[in-house]
Parts: sequence; structure tokens; C-alpha cells
Amino acid sequence: MTHLAPQLLAADIGLAAYITVMMLISMAVAFAVANIVLSLIIGPRRTGQVKAMTYESGMEPVGTARKRFNVRFYIIAMTFLLFDVEVIFLYPWAVTYANIDPSSAYQPVFLGRVLFFMLTTVVAYLYGYRKGVFRFD
Amino acid sequence: MPTTLIEQFGNPAIAIATGVGGVMTVLSLNALFLIWLERKVSAWIQRRMGPMEVGFHGVFQTIADMLKLLGKQLITPKGIDKPLYHLAPIVVFAPVVAATSLLPFSKSVAISNIDIGLVLIFVFGGFAVVGIFMAGWGSNNKYALLGAMRSVAQNISYEIPLILSALAVVLMVSAVGREVPIDGEIVALNGLNLAHITMAQVHWTWFILVQPVAALIYFISVLAETNRAPFDIPEAESELVAGFHTEYSGMRFALFFFAEFSNMFIGAMVATVLFLGGWEGPILPGPVWFFLKTYALIFIMMWVRWTYPRLRFDQLMTFCWAILIPLSILNLLVTALVIKVVQS
Repeated sequence: MTHLAPQLLAADIGLAAYITVMMLISMAVAFAVANIVLSLIIGPRRTGQVKAMTYESGMEPVGTARKRFNVRFYIIAMTFLLFDVEVIFLYPWAVTYANIDPSSAYQPVFLGRVLFFMLTTVVAYLYGYRKGVFRFD
Repeated sequence: MPTTLIEQFGNPAIAIATGVGGVMTVLSLNALFLIWLERKVSAWIQRRMGPMEVGFHGVFQTIADMLKLLGKQLITPKGIDKPLYHLAPIVVFAPVVAATSLLPFSKSVAISNIDIGLVLIFVFGGFAVVGIFMAGWGSNNKYALLGAMRSVAQNISYEIPLILSALAVVLMVSAVGREVPIDGEIVALNGLNLAHITMAQVHWTWFILVQPVAALIYFISVLAETNRAPFDIPEAESELVAGFHTEYSGMRFALFFFAEFSNMFIGAMVATVLFLGGWEGPILPGPVWFFLKTYALIFIMMWVRWTYPRLRFDQLMTFCWAILIPLSILNLLVTALVIKVVQS
């Protein structure tokens, strides 16, 4: 007999468990806003040309910070996306993998598919490695 | 099986209020304590005394500092991108609070017990990158922008070994937890539920003993994800002033700090659940063991910070992409193969 789906414990399948998380997020936002507002009320409010100046080690700021500059890790970010998508598919695999009967005919097929899937990422990784994406010099 | 608060109280409104209040209290006390501990540990390592004035050995020093920060002016520099600049502290802070509610503190205490808790924790962890980049880009400051850029590169790189090493544990849970007796019934454990991960270790053995490589990779990645030394180049104070939060003052700065220390706390708690058996331990009750293990890990994180020098940016990226990621993929594959060999 093949066990393709793991038997899950009857935990909170409904949305009730997520209500607490959502409440906490709104509570955290309220806490942060309240702190900032309180600080705005209590704290001094002095303004001036120099006080509002962008900090650049005490010097007059040179130009703006919104310039185009070379982001060295551009291809690294692309590779990260690749790995991230791979990981999303590996989550369900990791959960179900051990539940497949080792003697069933499904077993080698399932393992082979996952290995091939991971191999595609490894190929992309090796390509990036040979291209020198991960070298900074 | 941890019963959630809603089951314990019956009334959802009271349960949610208790959970929300509890998490905020724990996080606030933890941040106050950790800031004091960090200063004390650094002082002891450098043969100083650290804060001594406010209260016994300066225990109330952080509270005094917080009150001081509350009374400071919130300086808003000119040339900022207003929505990004003002939202950034909140975006960094809110997910941290939500992630804390997902952890099972003991066999009977969990605020919410969600079947995909592990995935949600990583999702909330990923939000920090967005917030940090909003802060860096919105500030119109070159130091902030450079710090944010570095932070994004580092966080996305180290997220891969972090998740891959956790996946090795997920594999182990479903392998050893196919038939586990819990409260008189036989159940199969779900590797993505944090309470189930702990129960697999109660049933069998701590995963640090069978997955030492994954545990080491996970710990290193947590150091990098929380921007702790030796991976603290996003806010390297000797070159970037304060990195992405250079232009934030007063309470806005405090929120970033709060989030940073809470992130450390969460990283250590998840490591406790994944590798150190969570609430398991003799004599003492579950939550005591849980927090003992968590704070032991946090102490090691502080020890590392005050012992090792900061890595250079290229060393940091090369270490992740050339060593940690291949090693974690290999670890995952070896785990999968060994499970099948043992099963058949």
C-alpha cells in the first residue's frame, strides 16, 4: 500500500489559528505607531537647515543618494530566485518523502524526479560559478 | 499536543487578547533583558564592568535608555521618500511580533499551532529584507543605501542554506514520526508543524546529534540573517556609520533595535525547536527548558560577536555561495538517501 499523503494530526486547519497572527500584526503596527506618536508629542520639535541636512559625517552632502550605481550581486539575486522557487517545491517533497513505501514501484520514480529537479538547479549554480558570479574581485 | 489558547479558554476573544498581550510582554521584556545582557557580556569579555549605576548591576539601565529615547526628537531629514521612510520601522517590526506567536513553548502552551508554522516563520523572516531596503532607499543617504544594498545581498544569500538545513530536519521528522504514540493514539507527524518537530525529538533523539552539519549551517545562517557579527557588514559602524538606519533617531531607531534583538530571539527559539528538542528536559517544566536553551544559544551568539572580527563583503558572499549552499544541498541529499536505505 502506498502512503502518498501523510496523515496529518487534526491541528488548526481552520482560519482560527491565523486570527491570532493577524491580530498580533495589527497590534504590533499599533504599538509602533503609538510609540512614534508619543515620542512626537513628548520630544522637542526644533527645525532648521542644518538639522534637516542629510548626515554625511558632518560634511555638506555631495549630490543625492539616488544615483545609479553598479549592483554587483545582480546575477546573485537571480540565482537566489531560482533557489527560492526550488525550495518552495522541496517543502512538500520533504513532508511526503519518508511516507512513501520503500518497496512500492513509486519509490524510485519519485526519488528520480526530485533528483532531476535538484540537478537543474545545480546546473544553473555551476553555470553561475563558472561565469564568476560568486567571485568578488 | 499543545492545545492552543483558543481551545484552553473556550472564548476566542479572551484567548486572542491573552495571546497578543503575552507576546508583546515577552518580547518587550526580552528586548530589555537582551540589550542589558549584550552590554554586560561585551564588558565581561573585555574585562570591564559594563552598566553598573541604574539598579543592581545596572539591570534597569535599558529602561532608563528607553525613557530617554522616548523624549528625543524624531529628526526627519530633507529629501527623504516620505512613505518609504515612515513605513520602514513598522515593516521591520510587525512581522517579528507575529513570528513569535507561532512557537510552541511547551507541551501545553502554544499561542497558535499552525500546520505550516515553519514556512510562516521563514516568510515573516523574509519581510525584514523589504523593510531594511525601504529604510535604506527612503533615507536619501549614501551610507544608508550602501548598508541596505549589502543587507539585501547578505540576507537573500543566507536564506538558502537556512531553509535547506531546516528541510533536512523536516525530512527527519517525517521519517522517524510515521507512527508516534501521543496521548494514547498513534499519529503521523507533520514536518512543517513546529510542535510536531519537537515531538519527533521527544520520541527519538535531539536532531543536533543526527544532523550536526545542518545544525551548524543553520546557526551560521541565523547569525547572518540577524546581521550579527561577524556578518554585520550592513551596519558596519567603522565604515558605514550605522548602515541602513543612519537617518533614524529616537523612537524610530528604537523600533529597529527592538526588531533586531527580537529577531535574534526568534532565530534562537527556532534553532531550539529544530535541533535542541524544544521543551524537552528532565524535572523542570517545559517552558523553563525552552527558554534556557534559547538563552544559551543567544549567549553563544553574543560570544561569537565579541570574539571574531567582521568578515569582508567578498569573503562573506563567497563563504555562503561556495561553501554553505553546496554543503547544505549535499546534506539534504545524503539525508534523503540514508532515510531510504534505513527504511528498506
